[in-house]
Order: sequence, then structure tokens, then C-alpha cells
Amino acid sequence: MKKSIARRLFITICLAPAMILFTVFMLYPTVNVFMMSMFKWGGLSDNRTFVGLRNFVSLFKDMNFIRALQNTILIIVLVTIITMVVAILFASILVREKIKGQNFFRIIFYIPNILSVVVISAIFSAIYDPSENGLLNALVSLFNGGHAGTTKYLGDPNLVVFALIAALIWQAIGYYMVMYMASMSTIPEHLYEAAALEGCGKVKQFFSVTIPMIWDNIRTTLTFFVISTINLSFLFVQVMTGGGPDGASETVLSYMYLQAYNRSSYGYGMAIGAVVFILSFTLSWAINRVTSRDSIEI
Amino acid sequence: MVIRMSEKHFSLYKIFIYVALITLAISIIIPVSWVFLASVKTNAEFYGNPWALPQGFNFQNFIDAFKIAQVGDFIINSALVTAMALIILLVVSLPAAYVLARFKFKGRRFFNGLMMAGLFINVNYIVVPIFLMLNGWDKALAKMGLQFFMNNRFVLALVYASTAIPFTVYLLSSYFRSLPKAYEEAAEIDGCGYFTTMVRVMFRMAKPSIITVILFNFLAFWNEYIISLTLVQTKALKTLPVGLQNLMSAQKAATNYGPMYAGLVIVMLPTLILYILVQRRLTQGMTLGGLKD
Amino acid sequence: MKKLISLSLAGLLAASLVGCKKADTATSEGSTSENTLEISGLDGGYGTKGWEEVVKAFEEKEGVKVNLRLEKNIADTLRSEVQAGTYPDLVYLSVGSKGGLTDTMIAEKMLTDISDVLDEKVYGEDEMVKDKLIGGIYEGLATMPYADGKLYLAPINYSPCGLFYNANLFKQKGWEVPTTWDEMWELGEKAKAEGISLFTYPTTGYFDAFFSALLNETAGPEVYTKLMTYDVDAWNMPEVKKAFEIVGKLAQYVEPTTVANANGDNFKKNQQLVLDDKALFVPNGTWLPEEMKDAPRVDGFEWGFTALPKVDAMGDAYATTFTEQVFIPKEAKNPELAKKFITFLYSDEATKLFYENGGAVMPVKNASEFIGADDMNALYYTVYDNGAKSNAVGFQVMDNIVEGVSVADANSGVLYATVNSIVNGSKTVDEWYDATLDAVKQISEANK
Repeated sequence: MKKSIARRLFITICLAPAMILFTVFMLYPTVNVFMMSMFKWGGLSDNRTFVGLRNFVSLFKDMNFIRALQNTILIIVLVTIITMVVAILFASILVREKIKGQNFFRIIFYIPNILSVVVISAIFSAIYDPSENGLLNALVSLFNGGHAGTTKYLGDPNLVVFALIAALIWQAIGYYMVMYMASMSTIPEHLYEAAALEGCGKVKQFFSVTIPMIWDNIRTTLTFFVISTINLSFLFVQVMTGGGPDGASETVLSYMYLQAYNRSSYGYGMAIGAVVFILSFTLSWAINRVTSRDSIEI
Repeated sequence: MVIRMSEKHFSLYKIFIYVALITLAISIIIPVSWVFLASVKTNAEFYGNPWALPQGFNFQNFIDAFKIAQVGDFIINSALVTAMALIILLVVSLPAAYVLARFKFKGRRFFNGLMMAGLFINVNYIVVPIFLMLNGWDKALAKMGLQFFMNNRFVLALVYASTAIPFTVYLLSSYFRSLPKAYEEAAEIDGCGYFTTMVRVMFRMAKPSIITVILFNFLAFWNEYIISLTLVQTKALKTLPVGLQNLMSAQKAATNYGPMYAGLVIVMLPTLILYILVQRRLTQGMTLGGLKD
Repeated sequence: MKKLISLSLAGLLAASLVGCKKADTATSEGSTSENTLEISGLDGGYGTKGWEEVVKAFEEKEGVKVNLRLEKNIADTLRSEVQAGTYPDLVYLSVGSKGGLTDTMIAEKMLTDISDVLDEKVYGEDEMVKDKLIGGIYEGLATMPYADGKLYLAPINYSPCGLFYNANLFKQKGWEVPTTWDEMWELGEKAKAEGISLFTYPTTGYFDAFFSALLNETAGPEVYTKLMTYDVDAWNMPEVKKAFEIVGKLAQYVEPTTVANANGDNFKKNQQLVLDDKALFVPNGTWLPEEMKDAPRVDGFEWGFTALPKVDAMGDAYATTFTEQVFIPKEAKNPELAKKFITFLYSDEATKLFYENGGAVMPVKNASEFIGADDMNALYYTVYDNGAKSNAVGFQVMDNIVEGVSVADANSGVLYATVNSIVNGSKTVDEWYDATLDAVKQISEANK
């Protein structure tokens, strides 16, 4: 009996500080966002009018918002798929194969993740430079028989989102690769040996041992992809394109910023914030349901 | 013959792997060294071909960055805030993660769910509500002639730590879950209480994971911009990323590109150094599974 | 180890508290004194030197303390402060600046009515402010944002916006600077044959000045005033659509890399095109040569500046007069001193100090006295002497914001931002015009 009280006390003491900080600085502000989304408010004065769900109604009639939403979803889907495939492949190569300079590659690949967005933006504006000085244009002209390509990566509404996606993937690969490597290195060697005895080649081993063994890890990273891509695509858009040309690269969060601050529509901006929260939540929940399998215990 | 074929096949496969790895490595090394080279270019060089090598070693950029932008003060602020935030975060998150991972109790599912939901909260939209809340508290304090919550590096660190709790608790509790039960049982037999078991046994076991957490959050706190911008207006207390804004390019004014890139390098260096120091431990500390509850 | 951590934690805490106390004394020192003027503003194109000198002169004359704070991201800093309920006495941040703070404060009616400043005497002089200011300069929507005849923002730093070019290139090639749009198109073809594009622009934000001048040319100043107050009938006029069509035609002559660089990070590359003789004209303000002073250029480069070409030989040429503004927040502690300071801004002394320390020109009638004839700046301010008319820029601030709809926003409003889509071919002029008309209708209806 005494022990159970001590146990309960211990649990409470351990949990309380984290939960209090979380509630005060994250939960309450989030509730506040949902409340503000029902007001018409410029964001500065005390003039607030309650408008109920009207902000949400106008939101779904706002074609610029719809486009921002489409861009965001496209970015999430492509960044997730490409980054995940490349990261898993490289991780499995670095863990399973005898590669010279393994350590070197592991260190280098992670570096983009520690750079600040401003640095990444500076790097990519030099890469995507539309003149023949642009690294990418110069590279293309090498294969083009010296014909200087002058593709306007950030000026073409059909290309600009993909240009952002490439930058996002470049930035993210190392991070996820390290995560997959961590979980691949815990797979016991005897599973591969058994598979090899059954005559499985490397490819077969990859699909029948590696993937199932890190499946839980993959599922978790999918949630991370959704959350971090929404956030990072915003930062990249802010510094690289400012949403342009003509709103073609706007994402939900950058559109929220535009509305809440530059357009004096704070309430409307918070309605977008609420949609972003619900969107990322549902998306992750759906992914979680779809990818659910019996997890394999060692 | 058959063996030869497969050998050839094999080496082709290897070549392909190396080409892929080296391509990615180059795509990272070149741009990053480009930033370092840019930081010693003179202003005029920035208008020409961005890939040209610097004509000389213009170290003046770094001196200017320290003089014009008072980078020195900002570095101290950033270091102070980052260090405090990391300490608060660990002190608060480690016990919570441990309890959530290793104890069965009523409400555990709820708290786990809460932490999961917390992952989806984006700092970019809660920053203004946080600001308004802190500001409201300060207004109440102002009646007593006090100001505490705004323009305070400790409060800034507290907010940083709080926003990082969900991810950190999630990562740490995944790690705790992967540890064998035997350790606690052994500790119990030795007569250790809950607290001693946690601190002496479990935290020590979790060291790789703690290092991972420190690295991830160091990067996040060191580079953080939006919260710092909103909660600190006093110039002397600003953090590095916010302070550097005064070096950044702006419309209608000549840009001081050199000091700007020097500033970027100054921000980047500590993160690079820390990463290279701890990178060996990085992979050991992560076991991210689904929430098995 | 544990001890070490708790020790260092205590140390950090102490350090942060010390820092906090310091900050406290600094702010209380500033705000309690009656005779202190708090000025916050943008560290913009004219730099900070001019302000520092003017403030010093005012401190000496008036015997007061002025706390001047100029920062590049002042809009962000001030937003937090305004939300926190601390207001400077005077703000130097123009309508339409990045961050939209001034615009929001106007929309939320947070500015002091300063109409009485017009009838005050200029500090230390006998002339009244309204008589010393250039005619009409304070009557636009940038200074009287509610179109009710009341002054809320005081105009400073006036500069003509027009088209910049390389005068030496024109001399070499024997080209004339076009005075009508027809001549412009001819020049465009000639230049194309030489591999030079006719036109480029830094970002679409610069079209507010360009398009306003163009609308004045096609539709005349009276219609223009109606356009700026969201008058749907005015927007429906064919003369208005003509301005859209001219931009549509101009779009075909725009240097191809322009759109890709038309963002906050890379716009200087577009300005560089003129220095490299890759594009002939760029719309801009008088700050441009200073902004590009470090940039390399072709041999013999020489800045030239002109108003927009006329619609036809009989029409008028226009160059937008761009002003920056200062304003007094409604909650300012020291509005009277701030007003006094505004009158000082227009004095001969301040005008001279501003001009000599950064090149800003006050919108006062005798400003040209301070600009030497051999001065490069004289070139820009003679544009109106050469027959071009002046027009102001800016829309009326409406009471009811329509969420998600903007005509006027310099970087994202439908009127200006769409230019990028016209140039890269993803939208037609008709689509642009219809979308603008639709947005105007929505805003007008919401404010009936």
C-alpha cells in the first residue's frame, strides 16, 4: 500500500513538469488559435468581431488558398516518397555493403540538415540562377553540346514547386538516412544468413528482411515527414521565392503568414493555422491506418 | 564463365553504388564550401558569376560582421539561451519519457496521446498566442512595477524547451521502451527506489539517446528565429539568427554581401563542430518504433 | 556530474536575470521622462546617418532627448511592441512596406490625426507647413488614407519613380529615349536585333509606381482618383483596360530571366541587367544608383532617367512621385513633441542634413536649392521640369477587409503580382483584367 502511494507520487512528480510546460506553452496557445479563427481581427487593436465559421467558409472559396493547399500536399507526397526511397536505399547500402569511406559518406550526407535555411536558400538561388551562370543550367549545357540552357526554375509556375521539392529532398535525405541506419543496424545478422541460405539474393533480402524489420520505423518517419515538410516548405518558400511567381509556390503556412500579417486578416490567418493542424493530424492518422501491420518482434 | 559474369555484374553494381554515393556527396560538399568561399569575397564579386573563386582572402568581412552587427553579443545570447533550453528540456523530459515508457498507470494512454498530438502543433501559428499570453502576464506585473516575461532570455529558453517537449519525450520514450526489463528488476533487487533506479540505471542506459536529443534540439534552438524575434525586442538580448537580420539584404539599400555570408558562416560553425563531435553516437541513440501501447 | 549541471544551471539563471534587470532600467529610463521623444523606423535605402544628424540638431535646439531606433526588420519588432501596448511617439515606416504594419495600423485606425500640423509654422521658420510642402504632395491616399481630407501620415523623402537606363548605351547606338509607347515598341525591336531586351523589373512590387503612372496616362488623373477608391464603374472603363494591354505588350519585351529573379532574394540580379546592357529600362526610384553602387557595370555606364512614355504624342507623360511617410500612433505618449518634430523635418536645416547624409530629399518647395547642379541627383528631380506630370500612388484603406482578396498589396495583390504570370505566359491580359475587376467588385461591395 505504501509502495503504491510512492509509485503514484513518483509518476506524478516525473510527469507534472513536462505536462505543465506543454499545457501552458503549447496546448493553451493552440486552443487559442482555434478560438481566434472565429474572429475577424486585424491583429493589433482591440477591435474583434465574432464571425463564427465564416473564415472557414471564405477559406474554401479562396482559390489562392486552394492552390496553396494543393502545393503543400504535392510537396508532402513527393518529398516523402523520393526522400524515403533514396534514404532507405542509401542506408541499407551503408549498413550492409562493404563500402570504402562509409564513415565519410555518413558524415557528409547529414550536413544539409544542420545548415540554416538562409544558407540553403543562398545555395539554391546560385544553383537555380536562370542565366547561363546557374549551376544547373551550366550542367545541362554540358550534356547539351555546349548549348547554354537557360531554364528559369524559379520563374516558371510549373517548375517552381518542383525546384522547391528538390531543395527539400536534398536537405532531408541525410536526416532520414541516419534514422533508418539506426534501426537497420539493430537487425540481427542471422536473419540475413538464414535468408541467404534459402537462396535469397540481395534484392530479395532487402525486401524480405530489411523492410519488414524496420517497418515500424518507416511508419514513424512518415509522420515526421508530414510534420516537418509542412514546416520546412514554409521556411524555404519564405526565403527562396516569397510565394512567387504570382503565388505559384505559396504553401499553406506561407499563405497563413501573408494573411495574418501582411493583409491585416489575423483571424483568417488563424483559420488557416487551424486547417494546417487538422490536415497534418488527419494525414498522419490516415497514413498510420494504411500502413498498419502486425509488427515483428525479434 | 558463370562466375566471371557474376563478378563482372558485381563490380558494375559496386561502381553504380559508388557513383550514386559520390554524386550525392559532391552535391553537398560543393555548395557548402561555396558558402565558406563566399564569406571571404568582396562586395563587388557577388554581382558576377556566383561560382567564381574569390579573388583574395577578404577577412575584413568577419571583422565587419562583428563590428556592424555586434555578432559577439548575439553569440553569447544564443549560447546562453540554447544551453538553458537544453538543460530545462532534459530535466523535464527525461523523467516524463521514462515514466511514460516503463510504467503502467491510469491515464498513460492519454498522456502518450497528448504527446503525439503535440507533435502536430506548429510553432509558426502558436507564436502570437504565446506572445499575447506572456504579455498579458507582464501587464499584470507592471502594476507592481515589474517586467519579467518579455525580453527575458530565461523565459525564451523555457518556451524553446516547452515546444520541444513532444518530440523529445517521444524519442526518449521510444528508446526507453527498447531497453530490457532486466535492468530495473536487478535494481529493485538491489533495493533501489524508483528515483535511484531512474537516475542511476536508466538514465545511464539512455546516454546514446540523450546525445541524439541534445544534437537535434541544439540545431533547432541555435537556428530558431520566429519565437526569438517575437519575444525579445531589447537589442542587447537578441539571439544570433535575429541579430543577423540587420546584415541581410533589403530592398532599396545596398547589400553588404560579404559580412552577410561571414555572419552565415559564424552561425553555421558551432553546429558543424558539434555535429562532427557527436556524429559517431548519433545512430546509436535512435530507436523509433511505433507507439506500442 | 549532477552537481556540475545544477551549478551551471544556477549560473545561467543568474546571468539571465542580470540581463533582464539591465533591460528594465533601460526601458524605464526611456519612457518615464516627459521630454523624451521615442522614434522607431526603418533602416532603409537612405541609411541611418541623415536621421541621426537631424535628431541631434533637434535635441540641441529643443533641449529634449530623442531615442532613435532604426532597424531593417523594424516592422517585426514594432508589431510585437504594438501588440504589447508600447508605442513610439513617431514611426518612420511607409505605407506598403514589407510586413504590412503601417497598413494594418491604418486599417485598424491606430493613427493620430495630424491635420493641424499643416497649419503650424515650420520649426524655426515663418512659413506654414502646408505652404512649404510641394503642392498636392500631402493630398494623396498615402497621407490621407481614408480619403476624408484628414492628414494621418506626413510625407517625407520624395523621389520620382520612372525608368532608369544606360545613357551611354543610347549615345553609342544613336537611339533616342522614346517619348511615346509606339516609339517604345520600335526601340524594342531595334534592341532585340542587337540581343538586348527592352525591359526588366526588380519585383512586381515596383509596378505600383509604374502602373499608377500608366493609369494616369491612359485614363487621366480624375479617373485615377476614382480607381484608387475602388470605384467599379471607373475600373470598367476601356481606358483603364488599355493600361493593362500596354503592360501585356511590354511583357513580350521583358528580359527572359526577370521573373525567375523577381523575388526578395534575387531582385538585384534584375537591376544588374541594365548595368550589363542586357536590358534597356528598369522602373525604379532614385535610390537605385546608391543601391547598386558596388555592382560591376559595362565600360562608360552612365545612369539615365525618364518618365514613362506617353500614350500618344498629344497625351501627358507621368512619373509617379513616391514618398515615404512618418506617423504618430494614437497611443503615443508625447504626440505634441512628435508634431513639433515633424515640422522640424521640413525646415531648411533638416532638409539639408537629410540630403547631405544619404541623399533623401524632403518634399519642400525649395528642396532643389540643396541639390547642386552638377550633382547626379539633379537629373531625377528635373524630370518634372521636362514636362512630365506627377502622380501619387496608393489605394484607399477600406474599413472592411475582404479575406483572401487583395488588389493593392504590392507583392501579392492581383493587380501587381499577376504581371509575373503575364510575362511567363501563364495568364492572358484578359484574365488579369477580369480578375482585378472581380476583386475590385468584391471589395467595393463589402464596403457599401
